[in-house]
Amino acid sequence: MTAAGFRRGLVAALPFLLSNGAAGLVMGLTYKGLGLGAEHAILFSLLVYSATAQAITLSMWAHPLPVVAMVVACIATNSRYLLMGAHLRQLFGGLAPRKMLPTLFLLADASWLMTNSDADRNGPDAGYLLGSSIPMAIGWVGGTALAYAAPLTANEPLRLAAALLPTMFIATLLPSQWKNVRSLWPWLTSAVAALLVARFVDPSWSMLIGGGCGTLVSMMEPKDA
Amino acid sequence: MHDLTVLGVICILGVTCYVMRAGGYVLAASMRDDGIAARFLRLAPGNLFIAFIVGGCLSGGLAGFVGTLVALVTMAITAREWAALGAGFGAALAASAIGL
Repeated sequence: MTAAGFRRGLVAALPFLLSNGAAGLVMGLTYKGLGLGAEHAILFSLLVYSATAQAITLSMWAHPLPVVAMVVACIATNSRYLLMGAHLRQLFGGLAPRKMLPTLFLLADASWLMTNSDADRNGPDAGYLLGSSIPMAIGWVGGTALAYAAPLTANEPLRLAAALLPTMFIATLLPSQWKNVRSLWPWLTSAVAALLVARFVDPSWSMLIGGGCGTLVSMMEPKDA
Repeated sequence: MHDLTVLGVICILGVTCYVMRAGGYVLAASMRDDGIAARFLRLAPGNLFIAFIVGGCLSGGLAGFVGTLVALVTMAITAREWAALGAGFGAALAASAIGL
């Protein structure tokens, strides 16, 4: 973990101040539309720090809060972090856990991708991971805070945002998940199963059961799609 | 809803997400790359996203479906997340305004 790597990552990730700031603002406005207080919204973005997890738990917001379903949803949708973490162990396995474990608090899809790319060019450097993670986190949390500082109130567009943006957040991640035509059957299975679960069981479980069914179909393929 | 309840849920979700981030790193030493669990986790995200989108479209009505579709197509073309979100939200607003 070098200072040079930290600086390199920090500078490379500066554009994320803007993009994550905009995203955090949208998330903050959505929280605001739900009636969540500023402190809770900022803490949410700071501690959970995951657009996917926040979007999904937001869509499950109800009285009383379905805590177990929310935790399971966070685990399921963030399962990719397990693999990212396992891969980072291969890169930074020699580093002391007291340095690596706090850094992983800020692990994000983009910082992981950037770190892998940098490791190919300059060799593994956990400083780069930390440096690139910081603008992303500041943008995300700062954007959420800005939503409460801006003179906006809950209106029809804001209510629509609260209802639709979580789904749209996930939709924007979908193209990156498409591997090839073999993705089609698992995805169709997921869609049909989710539809059936939402219609006949409970909408809050449609993602987990639908996604699980699709993944089982994926696993029937001799090779990964 | 009680503030402490919301605070407790946020903390639980925060710890859960951190465990997912750090868990892979900690467990990597004992996890086989070719094991069933590793393969399931590797294949799960795309399927979970599809199932989530279907559920969201179902609850968002036709305006939600239009917005999600526009966001998806814009993302596939531009690869810019926030352009996709802007276009999708605009389309959903327009669809809602014309009564869809």
